[in-house]
Amino acid sequence: MEEQKNKYSSRREFVRRAGRIIIASPIIVLPAILAKKTYATGYVWQIDPFKCTQCGQCKTNCVLTPSASKCTHAYQMCGYCDLCGGYLRQGVKTISTGAENQLCPTGAIKRRFVEEPYFEYTIDEKLCDGCAKCVKGCADFGNGSLYMQIHHDLCVNCNECSIARTCPSNAVVRVPANEQYIRKDKKS
Amino acid sequence: MRLTEKDIKILNNISLTAGIFTMIIAVTMIFSLLQLKIMKPLDSPVILSVKEQYDKNPADKQKAEEVRAMDLMARRAYFSSRWQVETGSYLLLAGAVIFVLSKRIIAGSEKPAPQFPEAKTDIALQKRKSQKYLIISASVITAAALISSLLLRSELPAPGSRQAGTVSSESGDKGLFSAPGGINYPFFRGEGSRGIAGGESYPAEWNGNEGKNIKWKIPVPAPGKSSPVIWLDKLFITGANGSKCEVFCIDKNKGEILWTASASDFPGASAVVPESDADAGMAVSTAAVNGEVVCAVFGNGNIACFDLNGKMKWAKNIGVPANMYGYSASLLIHGKILIVQFDSDEKIALLGLDISSGNVTWETARSGKPVWSSPVLAIYDGQPQVIINGDPDVSSYDPLTGKELWRTKGVSNDVTPSPAVNSKFVFIVQNYAKLMAIRPGMNSAPLWEDNSYTPDVSSPVANEEYLFICDGAGSAACYKPDKGEIIWKNDFNDPFYASPIIADNKVYFLDRTGVMHIVKATDKFELIADSPLGEDADCTPAFSEGKIYVRGKENLYCISVN
Amino acid sequence: MNSILERIKKAKYEAPLPGGSGVDKMKMNFKKYIPYMILLIMLIWHSVLFAQQRFPRPEFDSGYTYPTNQLPNQRGPMWEYMDVAVLIAALAVTSWLALKRRSRQGLIWMSVFSLAYFGFYRQGCICSVGSVQNISLALFNSSYAMPLSALLFFIVPLIFALLFGRVFCAGVCPLGAIQELTGFKPVKIHKSVESVLSAIPFVYLGLAILFAATGSQFIICRYDPFVGIFRLDAPYTMIIFGSLLLLTGIFVNRPYCRYLCPYGVLQNIFSRFSGKHLTITPAECTNCRLCEDCCPYDAILPSDSAAHTEPKEISRKRFLIYFLLIPVMAAAGALLLNNLVMPLSRVNSTVRLADEIRYLKENGGSEISVALNAFEESGKTEEQLFAEEKLILERFRKGAPWVGIFLGLSLGIGLFSQTMRKPRTDYKPHQGRCFSCGKCFEFCPVVKKN
Repeated sequence: MEEQKNKYSSRREFVRRAGRIIIASPIIVLPAILAKKTYATGYVWQIDPFKCTQCGQCKTNCVLTPSASKCTHAYQMCGYCDLCGGYLRQGVKTISTGAENQLCPTGAIKRRFVEEPYFEYTIDEKLCDGCAKCVKGCADFGNGSLYMQIHHDLCVNCNECSIARTCPSNAVVRVPANEQYIRKDKKS
Repeated sequence: MRLTEKDIKILNNISLTAGIFTMIIAVTMIFSLLQLKIMKPLDSPVILSVKEQYDKNPADKQKAEEVRAMDLMARRAYFSSRWQVETGSYLLLAGAVIFVLSKRIIAGSEKPAPQFPEAKTDIALQKRKSQKYLIISASVITAAALISSLLLRSELPAPGSRQAGTVSSESGDKGLFSAPGGINYPFFRGEGSRGIAGGESYPAEWNGNEGKNIKWKIPVPAPGKSSPVIWLDKLFITGANGSKCEVFCIDKNKGEILWTASASDFPGASAVVPESDADAGMAVSTAAVNGEVVCAVFGNGNIACFDLNGKMKWAKNIGVPANMYGYSASLLIHGKILIVQFDSDEKIALLGLDISSGNVTWETARSGKPVWSSPVLAIYDGQPQVIINGDPDVSSYDPLTGKELWRTKGVSNDVTPSPAVNSKFVFIVQNYAKLMAIRPGMNSAPLWEDNSYTPDVSSPVANEEYLFICDGAGSAACYKPDKGEIIWKNDFNDPFYASPIIADNKVYFLDRTGVMHIVKATDKFELIADSPLGEDADCTPAFSEGKIYVRGKENLYCISVN
Repeated sequence: MNSILERIKKAKYEAPLPGGSGVDKMKMNFKKYIPYMILLIMLIWHSVLFAQQRFPRPEFDSGYTYPTNQLPNQRGPMWEYMDVAVLIAALAVTSWLALKRRSRQGLIWMSVFSLAYFGFYRQGCICSVGSVQNISLALFNSSYAMPLSALLFFIVPLIFALLFGRVFCAGVCPLGAIQELTGFKPVKIHKSVESVLSAIPFVYLGLAILFAATGSQFIICRYDPFVGIFRLDAPYTMIIFGSLLLLTGIFVNRPYCRYLCPYGVLQNIFSRFSGKHLTITPAECTNCRLCEDCCPYDAILPSDSAAHTEPKEISRKRFLIYFLLIPVMAAAGALLLNNLVMPLSRVNSTVRLADEIRYLKENGGSEISVALNAFEESGKTEEQLFAEEKLILERFRKGAPWVGIFLGLSLGIGLFSQTMRKPRTDYKPHQGRCFSCGKCFEFCPVVKKN
């Protein structure tokens, strides 16, 4: 009886040991397979401004409130126009800084006279909520110097970016962490 | 850590306060979040309406002030909601932590002494019970999943397959959006008379003068301008010498005439030869064929229907369609109805004849002036419809009942080209007027109009990506169907009468001198070949199983690579 | 290419000279147009970059200089390795606390630390629970390279599970920690409910791997109830779900761990083969039964009563039947998931878009979704889209039956393992289900003699 029990328990032990090795094998195999597919430096999410269609979903789809994506200005590309497609609403009759003429719903774009006939437009990032209305206006009627970028002081770098998941033109991509922004004003 | 009664009471109060505090903050935060996401202060309808009012009267300073005030309010509301959410979350966290902490301390000190449980349960019973539960849960989940999968499976189409239209395939006319079959070419411009031919490996280069790639060539048995139609191995054309109207059946592979049938030897046949265009004759309308019968109509109003072996099933005269250029509308068959577009100076109508008896099942009067276009079969919203480029309206009719489904303003004056259709739009054109794209529907405004290329005879052809057109000046062009922009154009030398056909991703433009210009059906002009027939040709070619059939002035050609 | 760019830059930015004679003016005028002509040519070549340049770059007379636009950078990637180091250290300490030191208090403090570090400081991302998806995507998708830290976050807790049991769940996982710390009024769940709910993590794991492998979605991340609390910011639906789950967790302790966590399935499996595992008693069990009802997760296996065992024939028959049922279940699972390929593939946005295009073509309609609008503007052809869709559906067709087999096997083996059980003589925690939380320590009166 004792012997049987011992045999039983030793058989069990054997099964358990074998099971342990079988179960442990993926732990060794997986890193071997994936060794080539891992990278040491990190990746962050970024909007490719050349694919972006300014649909406005950056504002609503980010898990953060307010969204981590904001409008950025490529001054080198700007035309400094009086009638700015990104600052003024469509079809305004007078060009002024009045709220009735502004496109930006939060008043984040500031307009400043530089010299005749040039005006400088800057974005107050604290006010910008990433709705992309100005980006669309600038792309449709201007030089496209206003573009959306994910700001990495706010972005929490989710495993799968919620904006990326729903971006209709697949413009949100992973970029290496040493080049966190895809800038429109630096052409290589 | 032992706590006194008083301590516990204090902690309880703390936890209660913290709990209530957390709840209040949570509710406020949810409210703020809802306000941000759902009520959207920045896009509220009030602001939009005030802005609209201001737009109507931009000089109104007061309105401008109103807009500014509203905008300020909205922005304030938005930013305050945001601030509430941000700070509220910290308060929430603090409240929750205090609540949890105090509760834990209380629970820690309130630990009950361990007690002896009741009698042990029967292990075997427990085992059986747990197995039972496992099985029950597994079966419930499996059943639910199976049922849902079967239900869902039937609704969704498998990828790559397209749902065929609701038209029965007896008439040889399949649903609009399934690709046309490559064997039968039953009407004037193929299936549904839409100008798109099925099949592949059609020859691109041939030379009628040298006989290159010409499989057979026979003299046209009787003169006429009707195009060939094909069912399986039989090709049918019509011809007329004066008032002697005939239908010919030719073996499409060998080029032998299988039978000839007369469509003027029946009681009631008209002997009158009405006026018509110089060399048109009575055999201008193209015949229509389905698997059982072939029907033909002639310029004197004789209509005859034969079985595929040449035996006459019925024949009648529907009245002489006398008009300026001569009767030219081709036939269509839908189900058991033979659709006849009747255009004469006195009567303009659409008739539906029963294909087995020839009785008029329905007759619908049409308005306006006579036209020389042919009807097209299309399906919109699941409804098969016969679309006619009329003068002055484009109209659509139910082929089974003849009921007019919709009508909208089209083109006028000598309307000859037939409509082009794709799944979204109808395209009509008239020389000296314009090319229009219309969404099918009652009184629908045209989507776009353009008058760069307006053929007088040739009908345009459209698929989902392109619209191809060629005109009497020898130009051919490709438009984008939804926007009306010209993607490419090319000026060929000679005028076009025959209608272009899309087959095998190529467009076949046949000019009046018999040269077929074969162009790639793509967004750049890419000429594949210019293939001469060797004689003049005005008839739209027929396509079947890798062979092209062209009716020239004198001869009928079969063009094939092998 | 670069030389052309250089030439354009030069041509565009050469300012026309103010004033000058008439002839000069003509020359100047002509010169002014050269850049625009070159621009026109470039427009045809590179519509993306240059076509938007409708207005030329301004020429500033007042000495205006362009402001610099500094965009803030994220923390450097080397910090991720710090997280891995903290992970290993935390796991080591927790194992020692659970197995050697046997201190419930210590484990609670570990939970607080993990909640603070991995939860609120690192904001719950990247976590071991989600790392399953990264592995899945990396294995089946050649264009994705996963971060090394994600791989380590996946492997290291499993190694510890194989060695010491579910110590990761005990004091390191921030989701477990937050549930552990807020569960103060445990309530027992009826076994039937428990067994049904326990099936959910398997389904969740299978679907998460399938959706990640086909590049459709990371559903674990999307439906993580606690990450919103860690970030203090989330879509309000997730906040409501997370708070409700925590509120339920006050009574039904560790609801996510027990009934939802997909990583828990792996921890469960690995832990069953662990060399050392947390024990209730520090020495020999005396069968005093004081610990029988103390586990809030019902993970304590009592010893068998002497009487009431099943007759050997019946148990042997059951053994055989369930053993034979395993392949049957696996096949049924494969069949079931095969049927579900079409509805499952709708999770993928490319498949949904292709569906919409087909639907609109056959039924017409004027309303199109944002995605279709963007697709039309993007210049991608429908053929490309349909080719992509075909590829994705192929992946689904290949993968879904395997998920079904996995589910069938899990169920079959689960049933089967019920039949083969050696009689127990003392109280032990269930090696798969025990979270090594240590709550049972204080209920055991046995004291180890040194």
